[in-house]
Amino acid sequence: MPFACIFVPDFPVEALLRAEPALRSQSLAVLEGRAPLQKVFVVNENARRAGMNPGMSRLQIEPCAGLVLRARSLPQEAAAHAALLDCAQSFSPRVEAHGCDTILLDLAGLQPLFGPLPKIARALARRASDLGLEASVAVAGNPDTAALAARGFLGVTVISEGKEAKQLGSLPVEVLFANSTQESGQLLETFSRWGIRKLRDLAALPDVALSERLGQAGIHLQKLARGATSRTLVPFEPPLIFEEVIELEYPLVLLEPLAFLLGRLLEQLCARLEARALATQELRLSLELQNGYQNDESAELALDLDGRGRPSPHNLFRRTLRIPVPLLDSRTFLKLLQLDLKAHPPGAPIVKIQLAAEPVRPRTAQNGLFLPPSPEPEKLELTLARIAGIVGEDKVGSFELLDTHRPEGFRMQRFVPSEPFSPRRHGGTEKNDLHFSGPMSSLNFSVPPCLRGGFSSDSSDDLVTALRIFRPPVEVAVTLQDGKPASINCPKNKEMHGEILWAAGPWRSSGDWWEQEGWARDEWDIAVQGEAGIALYRLVRDRLGGRWILEGTYD
Amino acid sequence: MLLSMYIELHSRSAFSFLEGASLPESLVAACANLNMPAIALLDRDGVYGSPRFHMAAKKARIKAHIGAEVTCEYFSPQRRSATEQITNHKSKDSSVSLCLCGGFRLPLLVSSRLGYQNLCRLITKMKLRAAKGEGTVREEELREHAAGVICLTGDDDGPLALALTHGGMEEARGCVEKLIGIFGRDNVYVELQRHFHREQEERNHAAIEIARSLQIPLLATNGVSYATARERELCDVFTALRHHRTLATAGRLLARNSERYLKSPQEMQTLFADLPEAIANTVELSSRLAFTFKDLGYEFPKYPVPEGETMISFMRERTGEGFQQRYGRSASELQSRARCQIERELKLIEELDLAGYFLIVWDLVRFCREENILVQGRGSAANSAVCYSLGITAVDAVSMELLFERFLSEERGEWPDIDLDLPSGDQRERVIQYLYKRYGERGAAMTANVITYRSRMASREMGKALGFDPETLDKVSAAVSTWEYRDANDTLDHRFRYAGLDLNHPRLRKYFELCVAVQDLPRHLGQHSGGMVICQGQLDSVVPLEPASMPGRVVVQWDKEDCADLGIIKVDLLGLGMMAVLEDSLQLIHNHHGEEVDLAHLPPDDPTVYSTLQKADTIGMFQIESRAQMSCLPRLRPKCFYDIVVQVAIIRPGPIVGQMVNPYLRRRMGREPVNHLHPSLEPVLGRTLGVPLFQEQLLRIAMVAANFTGGEAEELRRAMGFKRSQARMKDIEARLRSGMESNGISREAQEQIILSITSFALYGFPESHAASFALIAYASAYLKCHYLAAFTAALLNNQPMGFYRPATIVKDAQRHGLKVLPIDVMKSEWQCTLGQSALSNQHSASPVALRLGLRYARGLREEAAKALVQQRNLAPFTSIRDLVHRVPELRKDELNTLAEIGALNEIGNSPRRHGDTEKTKNLNKEFVPTAKSATENSKPEITSVPSCLPGEFVFHRRDALWQVERAVRHSGPLLDELPEPDTNSPLRPMNSEERLVADFRGTGMTVGPHPMAYHRARMQAMGIHKASDLSHIPDGQYLRIGGCVICRQRPGTAKGFVFLSIEDETGVANAIVMPDLFQKNRLLLSSAQFLMVEGILQNQDNVISVKAERVLPLSITRAETNSHDFY
Repeated sequence: MPFACIFVPDFPVEALLRAEPALRSQSLAVLEGRAPLQKVFVVNENARRAGMNPGMSRLQIEPCAGLVLRARSLPQEAAAHAALLDCAQSFSPRVEAHGCDTILLDLAGLQPLFGPLPKIARALARRASDLGLEASVAVAGNPDTAALAARGFLGVTVISEGKEAKQLGSLPVEVLFANSTQESGQLLETFSRWGIRKLRDLAALPDVALSERLGQAGIHLQKLARGATSRTLVPFEPPLIFEEVIELEYPLVLLEPLAFLLGRLLEQLCARLEARALATQELRLSLELQNGYQNDESAELALDLDGRGRPSPHNLFRRTLRIPVPLLDSRTFLKLLQLDLKAHPPGAPIVKIQLAAEPVRPRTAQNGLFLPPSPEPEKLELTLARIAGIVGEDKVGSFELLDTHRPEGFRMQRFVPSEPFSPRRHGGTEKNDLHFSGPMSSLNFSVPPCLRGGFSSDSSDDLVTALRIFRPPVEVAVTLQDGKPASINCPKNKEMHGEILWAAGPWRSSGDWWEQEGWARDEWDIAVQGEAGIALYRLVRDRLGGRWILEGTYD
Repeated sequence: MLLSMYIELHSRSAFSFLEGASLPESLVAACANLNMPAIALLDRDGVYGSPRFHMAAKKARIKAHIGAEVTCEYFSPQRRSATEQITNHKSKDSSVSLCLCGGFRLPLLVSSRLGYQNLCRLITKMKLRAAKGEGTVREEELREHAAGVICLTGDDDGPLALALTHGGMEEARGCVEKLIGIFGRDNVYVELQRHFHREQEERNHAAIEIARSLQIPLLATNGVSYATARERELCDVFTALRHHRTLATAGRLLARNSERYLKSPQEMQTLFADLPEAIANTVELSSRLAFTFKDLGYEFPKYPVPEGETMISFMRERTGEGFQQRYGRSASELQSRARCQIERELKLIEELDLAGYFLIVWDLVRFCREENILVQGRGSAANSAVCYSLGITAVDAVSMELLFERFLSEERGEWPDIDLDLPSGDQRERVIQYLYKRYGERGAAMTANVITYRSRMASREMGKALGFDPETLDKVSAAVSTWEYRDANDTLDHRFRYAGLDLNHPRLRKYFELCVAVQDLPRHLGQHSGGMVICQGQLDSVVPLEPASMPGRVVVQWDKEDCADLGIIKVDLLGLGMMAVLEDSLQLIHNHHGEEVDLAHLPPDDPTVYSTLQKADTIGMFQIESRAQMSCLPRLRPKCFYDIVVQVAIIRPGPIVGQMVNPYLRRRMGREPVNHLHPSLEPVLGRTLGVPLFQEQLLRIAMVAANFTGGEAEELRRAMGFKRSQARMKDIEARLRSGMESNGISREAQEQIILSITSFALYGFPESHAASFALIAYASAYLKCHYLAAFTAALLNNQPMGFYRPATIVKDAQRHGLKVLPIDVMKSEWQCTLGQSALSNQHSASPVALRLGLRYARGLREEAAKALVQQRNLAPFTSIRDLVHRVPELRKDELNTLAEIGALNEIGNSPRRHGDTEKTKNLNKEFVPTAKSATENSKPEITSVPSCLPGEFVFHRRDALWQVERAVRHSGPLLDELPEPDTNSPLRPMNSEERLVADFRGTGMTVGPHPMAYHRARMQAMGIHKASDLSHIPDGQYLRIGGCVICRQRPGTAKGFVFLSIEDETGVANAIVMPDLFQKNRLLLSSAQFLMVEGILQNQDNVISVKAERVLPLSITRAETNSHDFY
């Protein structure tokens, strides 16, 4: 049974050359790593001849004249791999992917269709070339021999039956180790010590003695070197794809009819998922817009790559809906999509709708019988989506305190229902909590006892003064006396105005000095005589910008 | 006025290791700027920075208070009950307070010498019982050592803060009461700090309340961690490093603000305007702290003498005995001079009460002699005739007219400095242990070595704190230039750019600033290699002791300069690799030649030694083997011992920078008239032809030309060697000039004298030191010339040391006719050994052959090798399987290495394996001519060289590799017992190139032909000359040389020139590369293993080198040869 192997040498280079074929005649080096510490990952033949090798640093090779440098592109490699698969599958349905750069295919029964083996091999190479990939193609009686020959010989090679060992003999032993693992490294080192450089050297070693030394791994390698392995292909299985598409006869402008169509697609998708006992956590909606319409958002989204790494066409409007728990309710999905589209309308007539669901195992957890009921995930998601639609997506969720002295050092995270609520330990006030402890009396201000916190003798009466933060903070003008604030004046809010009766502070903090966004501030706790009585505020001075703000008020 | 003054009594320096960001000197300088009359230094668990703090404060006329922040123990319940028993026993109402239940830092200030001694003992107790950085003090220890100590309640980590956090007011009050109970009511101060924190102020309220209720004083401090606010950044970095975090992830571990800097009295008064007594109390407390380091109380131990004797009388007797031995057979003139000198020295020693010190050193030397440990005194002690008579030194100070004042001077008020050179390794350890045993664990200790931040460590750690990934860190540290010479562009700034780091990026800019700021700050404490301090009383009452990393050793918290500053006497026990080589050589000579060589009685004028030195054939010899020394030897042409003294001293940065080398050599060769700068200097400079070469001469010049007294001259020496004091040098320079002016010395001569003296600041040898080294150099040369095999074996057994790699030493020995045999598991020991050469005498200059030891098999562990030797001694190995079976310690990789370097070949060729001894003998006979042709012709081609070296003709290296792979694989119990012979393998033998690669990979050298030998015909065709040919080629000829680069050097004194030593099969040639050529070929010249150098031959007075005009890589072998590059 004949097999063919398509192998693309210097695959990352070839993947890049598909987009820029003009570079083929130049020295090209593909770099990996983050600037400025990039290293050469792969080079093309021209660069190799100029003395460049993988592992060299960018600094080392940069001075070389006529050298083109490109960063490694995983999406382009993925696309090249997909193209390689397409090439193989256009000849044979039984295809095995062997890493990114190697594809094996079963040629049994193809000769009547495509002609003799050499012709098929040449056709494969030509097809790969048409797809922008310069590949070596080998045909042999077993898949491993075909793979070795493709890796070892450039161009098209046909290994005649019975002559495998002879033809493979001149190849270096390194071709046996396509992937560098620790084990393969050790074996290569052993071969190097033994002076085994070519496959013929390995093939000539006595079987039993070799097995005594290297075990079955050694025997397997020797069989490979002799071209004497036999195995069946492990066919490439395309991934489960749940995707539905509707091409419209006339463009859709309104969201309501779109919702109707979306509902239909969702029902179909949910039925398919249900049939396979799956649910989904991610829905990807792709809308093709009329007349190549392109707005900023779609352009930005177009940079995102789909699962196969192909760049999206620019007239596509894409939204992705991620749900924290696996669901399988088409009505909930529809409502979520509607809310999302309402917040992010496509902005142009729609000509094609494509909806894909990422399959996952359905939710199986069940809450305890005696635990208080938590909201149903579906309803919670809808509620959150509604709130997000009103206040903005980055303003919904639960906050997470950051370990920093920076005031309001927190970030928002997506809200996920947590384990049943556990009451906080008594007295376990977090350091970063917004509470007031006690002003500095050195500045000779009397402090109302209600603001005293801390180490009073009667600790049972601990009072915590709450601070209500103003959002946004209120900018004020402050008059100073002896370096201390004496009065404030807020043009926008007349209540925040008046003499400062007493002030405690400054409470000084600064940090992140190693970042560009370093900060430094002084806080004062002040009492201001307003019309309605005495008000207590937290007054803050930004020591870098010089701005005064009222950050909040004490209850 | 005093009432408004403020004194900072709680500050820590960078000697709190990663908790403070300023040097003690910076704190003192800041204090002086603020007009503060005193300051206290309280470093964490030690007084590491106190000597520097004291010295700086003395200079700035500021009072330096000493103290420490001591970590106190967390009391576990069990511990607590034990403590309760103790305390209940002492006082009924005492219950262990909760405040002592947490680990806290207790700030302690010493008010008297007793207090200081208590503090040192307290810290020593804590340190010696725990691992590094983990010790804590117990409550009962605090009670025991409370006298003379004043306690503060501390800051964030202090006992009061801890008690407040854990137990509130009551607990805090209890805690302060507890401290009052321990230290006394008058000795506890409630500390207040104001860094603008809400929580801290809250604590202050509580503290004030407690202080008032207990009627104890308040004390304002600022808990200083750095001198200026800017250094807060460094302090944050240190905090991150201490917690193994980055700045970004350290979060609230970092400081909240930058307020822990040294604040002015005015600032502090404003801050504590509501509590003026807290400020006033700082002045009151400062006045109570009477202790300073002037009152350290150090006493050197007394030497026990027989009854009826005093130390000086005992010493006179010993000196008298020594005099007879040393000068008994000398000319009467020398004898009388020596007697005079010794009498003068003894009188001074008696006056200064130093007899005990001399006797202790004499006792050490006596111990070494009794134990057959080679020992030789060096340093300034060699200037003393008493030291010579006592056998401490081997240099006759009288006949060499050495300056005794350099060693000891009445005016200096300083202890003399005696350094003892000992063989490195176990022997030196025995001497150290003897000292410990004799003076007790708390009576002797090693001096510390403060490890400070330098470029590489700074760039790595600052990068780590900023969160750079490991790859970036590697890149940046690697970019830190390792050459000794740095050109103008080679600044830290330049190195950053070279590494591809853009300093315009704010984060990188910050990184750069941090790297610069952290330079020279202490990182941690190491152990000095040999300095030991000894004390009459308990050393732990003079300075805290810490356990060293080596078990059984303790180390003091100060480095040797600090010890010297505080007048603590030390003995340097220095391990010298060459001493070990000499000792091992003597043993090998005894074992293999049956001869006893006495180093003290070597023939003084051995012609072979001097002719070898004149030819600069000095590879492996002590101090005179470097490239620079070799380039000087043919010009200096040593003819007597004093010439070697000069030779050792002349190639030093001092004479080189002072431009003294060439004038001396020219005058020596009669090409320049001798000029003594001034007639009065003739007696001083006469011996060195008017060129000052030694420190003593410079001191004498200062004494003669500028009227310096002996003590002033010594001050000059200290200033020269004292890297911390540029200003001191300037001051002395002015005094020198005025002295010379008054003596009528011309301006020109003055300039020359000043240049000579200031260049010695870069380091020059004292004559006595050079003489001591010259003795060792002569001994090494003598042994190399007369006992090459023993000397080479000893040299190889004490690697790494010296200037050259073992590969070069072996090749040099082979060129001198020594037969070097490869590693063989059937014959080799762990060390290199001597045996009879397999070849007859006619083929080898030496009947003794050197067998490489198993230590040269890379990756082979000593325990595995020793197990192998032990098994072999029981019975020879019959097969590789037998070896694997009997020495299970051997790992597969070790066996593979042994097989690959041919060390297992002999097993395969053993008669037991063949069962035919005669056959093997015949085979051996067959081999001899092959070996002869290879060594005699010295130019085999890579294809024509026989594929086998000695011992590889039947069973070759790959056979062994093949068998090893089988033998290490377990075949199961059934087949395990089946005997299996070492059969030939299906693998082809290694060719010469493969063997070279294997040799260099497995041993770092080859005992076969030099790699260049295989390519000589090709080299000749390329016009490349052999190293041995160069001496016959006229000066100025344009030619090519080529070979393996064995040494690259870019010395700091050579203005960017690079010196290459290039070895081929005939010897070593030198090439000089100009800075511009180096810049053009930087990568090639720094990394290529084999080079061809094209240029002009320079032969000046038989000093031969090639001035490179072009360099090209040579393709010789894939073997990884190694060069010794000097950074």
